[in-house]
Order: sequence, then structure tokens, then C-alpha cells
Amino acid sequence: MVLDNQVDLLISKLKRRQIVNSGQAAIQTAYLMRMVIAATKSHQADKLIDTVKEIGKRLVSAQPMELVVGNIIRRVLHIIREEYTTIVRQEQNKIPQFPSSSSTMFNLLETSDDIDYSNTFYDFKQLVIDGIKDLIDELETQEQNIANQALEHIHSNEIIMTLNNSGTVQAYLKQAAKTRTFQVIVADTSPTHEGQVMAKALASAGIETTLIPDSAIFAVMSRVNKVILGSHTVTANGGLIACAGSRTIATAAKYHSTPVVVCIGLYKLSPQYPFDIEEYNLCVSPDQVYTYDEGDILEKVDIINPYYEYVPPELVSLFITNVGPQPPTYMYRLLNEFYSKEDFEI
Amino acid sequence: MDEQFDIQKTFNEIVEKEKTVSLPVVAVKVLTEFIKQGKTSTLQEFMKNLQNASETLKALNPISVSAGCDLFLRFITRTTHDVTNLELCKKHIVEKGEQFIEQSEIRRHNIAELGMQFIKDDSTILIHSYSRVVMLLLMNASKAKKRFRVFVTEARPSTNGQRAVDELKKANIPATLILDAAIGFIIGKVDMVMVGAEGVVENGGIINQIGTYQIAVVAKAANKPFYAVTESYKFVRIFPLNQYDVVSSTLDTNNHEPNKISLEKQTVDYTPPEYISLLFTDLGVLTPSGVSDELIKWYY
Repeated sequence: MVLDNQVDLLISKLKRRQIVNSGQAAIQTAYLMRMVIAATKSHQADKLIDTVKEIGKRLVSAQPMELVVGNIIRRVLHIIREEYTTIVRQEQNKIPQFPSSSSTMFNLLETSDDIDYSNTFYDFKQLVIDGIKDLIDELETQEQNIANQALEHIHSNEIIMTLNNSGTVQAYLKQAAKTRTFQVIVADTSPTHEGQVMAKALASAGIETTLIPDSAIFAVMSRVNKVILGSHTVTANGGLIACAGSRTIATAAKYHSTPVVVCIGLYKLSPQYPFDIEEYNLCVSPDQVYTYDEGDILEKVDIINPYYEYVPPELVSLFITNVGPQPPTYMYRLLNEFYSKEDFEI
Repeated sequence: MDEQFDIQKTFNEIVEKEKTVSLPVVAVKVLTEFIKQGKTSTLQEFMKNLQNASETLKALNPISVSAGCDLFLRFITRTTHDVTNLELCKKHIVEKGEQFIEQSEIRRHNIAELGMQFIKDDSTILIHSYSRVVMLLLMNASKAKKRFRVFVTEARPSTNGQRAVDELKKANIPATLILDAAIGFIIGKVDMVMVGAEGVVENGGIINQIGTYQIAVVAKAANKPFYAVTESYKFVRIFPLNQYDVVSSTLDTNNHEPNKISLEKQTVDYTPPEYISLLFTDLGVLTPSGVSDELIKWYY
């Protein structure tokens, strides 16, 4: 019962967009999953998988744009499968001859046997819970892990451009500022003006900061050495779903051959491909662009306020992840490391 | 040596008999047959005979067939390391070879399912010539109630495009045949390009029926996605640096003159990886750089 309440609570928070920060969404989902596993009476792996999937489906449909929720569910399913197969292998005392990954050319000729998930092992559930605990640790430390790589990518006297107020990017720049002097240009990111928040935070950390309007992005780009962005999600092909304005910056950077570096925790990597790009261009209430009580003109014009937009992988030079730097073309590889193929569709 | 077994004849027979089977699978079929009929008693002789057989096969078609031969030979080498008894080893190889042949159809269906997700309602797709796996993908998409239009290039000199149009029309998919010279004209109306492949090379580029490269160039210029649909057994370890590194895969290679590119002989071209958005394979949707990863894992 308590569990049901918790599930409903998270669902309604996601629905009402009370959680918009993907890091928060991920951590809360992981905590909920730990509760789910602990509360499930069965010790059978297939039962656990079914329960996690069932709750996962509800969470995902509560806010389909929040792809990290689905990612965490997949991670948990992957933990269950991994722990289970390790136990089975130990029991049978069998060492696999070839990697068991289902997506290699090995499978053309070597068929790996299907695993039967219905056996019960005594301490299996505890292992899964420990696995989720590690996952939560990873989520809580990923920002610092990314920030620790800052010195490899930011050099003295560089001019860096960014936009919006990404926690990851902020931590990254602040970390670099401890040892290097450099200049940051922040685009205002209208209409949320989150860029102003970022600029203030950076300035108070002692970084030389310039705030520019979004319309000046292209004009200023010629002076910039590097663009550093955060992102809401990364799709399987290495594309971004990031705050509106990211593509403008990325395109301007491409024109000037300025590298675009994206700081991102790998929990944001989704196995989805951008089948339909328009699906991801989320628009929110136009209130921030033009308030309702500003008059009659509202009836005569359409006002739209895009929130996320898709940035194709060609415009990204490098991802800095919590497991080190990765080129965009390599992102799909990491998918097989973190998720099981059978869970790509929950 | 097994004088009784004529590799070329067996190959031609299978190609003639089973038109839906792609060439790498035929190659594995021939080799499996060859092992079954062979009477070698030592491992060394066994391997040597196989290597000779695969050389003969590769000469028939340097891309598709050699992909199949290399894949199977690599598997055999691995097996001979694990299983020391030659008879058992042969049995195991034949078994797996037959399993591979059986599953090739299923694999093609999986690719079709995967690629289908990229087709949305009311989209227009340009395809090149006739590719079995692309056709299957389109048919499945149509069965899944997706509505789309298809433009098919005529693909001279084979003119296989007409066959594709006929089959699509029969399945109630609106299809139009266009001239090979009209690709630039039509690209503005197209949402995506889908092509098959004879072989996928190490850098993720594809070798396919002639005309593919020019479509890819036009698609890139017009900023349209270009998808290659292919089975992973067509991955082959060659690394062409330009068009002329690719030997044309006509079945008749007896009169090959390397310095003369004649109109009839040139049947394939090479599309470099930078023109390919994604590859739909039975290993999943890959970026071109994923191909070399898979190849390295198999032939390390």
C-alpha cells in the first residue's frame, strides 16, 4: 500500500512537471525502484522483471518527454539480469566462451542459450538492491566526475560560450576556474532567462563572465574557442534533446568550426532513435513570451514557446561523460554496456 | 582433393534455384555442402581444402561471397581450436552452418521490423533499384498500416527498378519509377533514402548497385537522411579508398581488364561512410563507425 502511494506520488509529480530536472527525476526513480524490489515478496528474477516493467510503463507514460525515467528503469532491469546470470554461471561453474552480448556477429553462428529466469536464489534480491545502491551513488557523483575532467578541456585564456543554466556545466566551469583563468560568454536563453542565473553564478565564483542576448550568438561566435552545453537527453545516434536555442548555438559554432562539447551524465543516454524529430520539439505555455493580460493582440497572433529541440549528432564534437570523453558516433556502443537489448522497449 | 565436387556448378545451381537467398548465405551453403561431401582425415588437409574452395568462390563474386566465406572460415578456425576431434568438429560446423542458413530469413524480418519504425505516416521514400531487404521492410511497413509513397530509380543497366515498382504496386503501395538522371529533381519531394547493400566495408561505407553513390551525394546536399538496410553477414573486411578499389561484382570476371571501365561491367559503386546516416542491421541500428567495431570483435 505504502508502495502504491509512492508510485502514484512520483507519477503525479512527473505529470504536473514538478520535477523538470532530469537528475532529480533519475534519482527519485532509482529510489522508488529500490523500494519496489525490497517490497516484492517473490525472489524469482522473472517476477521482479515483470514488476519493474509494469511500474516502469506507468512512470514512462506519465511524462513521455522525461526519457531518463525510462533509462533508469532499463538500468534496473539490466542489473537484475546481470546479477541473475552471474549467479547462474557460478552455480553451473561455467565460463562463457564468448561474450554473451546479444548484438554481435557471434550470434550469426554461435547461438547463446536463452536464460531461464524462474529459479530462486537465496540472496539474489539483496544483490539487486546493492546494484541499485551503486546506481544511486553513480547518479549522485556523476556531476563531480564530469567536473573533474574540466582541466583537460579548458585551457588558460580561452573564451567559452554556453547557454541556459545546466547544473553539470556550471559545476564543470567552476571546477576549471579553481586553477585556470578563462572567460565565459553566456547567452541569455530567452524567454526563461536561465542564462542570467548561470551568469550570476559564474561571476560570483570569480569567472570573467559576459551576458549576451540570444540574437548576438552568431556575432560573438567568431571570438569563441569552445562551446560547452548541457543537454536534457542524448538519443542513441548521439543527437541531443536540449533546451531551445542549443541548435542555434551549435549551428553557429559549425559555421565557425568551433568545437561543441556536451557535458552529460550517462543516465541521460536513451536507446531511442529520433524517428520523428518534431516529436521532441516540446512547446510550453507562451505566458513567458507574452503575458495573457497584455491585451487584445493575443487574439491576432500565434505565440509559441519552444522548450526542447533536437540537435543532430553532426553538430556535436565531443561528449564529456562520467566515464570519460566519448565521440557522438560511439554513443550507441555505450547502450549495450548499460542496458539489455530486450529492455530497449519497456 | 575432392574432384567430384564442382564448386562453381553448385554455386550457380543454388543461385538459380533459390532467388530470394542472398549471396553470402549461398556461399555458406556451398561450403557446408563441401564439408559434408569431403573425406579428409587430417585437420591440415581439411583446412587447406576449405581455403581453396573459398578462394574459388571468392573469385566468382569478390564482395558478397567473400563476406560469407570469410565469416564462415573464421568460425571454422575458431571451432577447430575448441574441438580437437575432426569428425566431431565437422559435424558441429555443418550443424551450425545449416542453422545459419535457416535463420537468414528470420534475420531479414528482424531488420525490416527495426527499420519500419523510421517510416512515419505520409512520408516519401526514395529507394534504389531492387533490394530484397528494403522491399521486405516496405511491405511490412505497409502491412502495419503505415501510409507512404515510394520513388524507385530505374537503375540502368539492370532496370531492376521496374520490378520493384511492380511488386510495390501489387501490394497497394503508391510507387513511381523515376529516371536515374532525375534523382536531383526528385530529392526535394523525398523525406528519406533507403538502399540495400552488397557489402558493408570496414569503415562503414557500403558497396551497392551502381548509382547508389550519386544518390547519397544528392541526399547529403539536400540534407535528407540516407539509410542503408543490410544483414550483418555482409560486413566484409575491405577498406576501399576510392571508387576504383572496388572490383565490379559481375559473375563473369574472366575478361577483366583493370584499366578499362566498360559500361556493362561496372555494376557496383562505393558509398563512403560520411554519406550514410544510419545502417539498419540485424545487430541493431548502427552508425557507420559501428561496423568496424563489430568486424574487429569477430576477426580480432
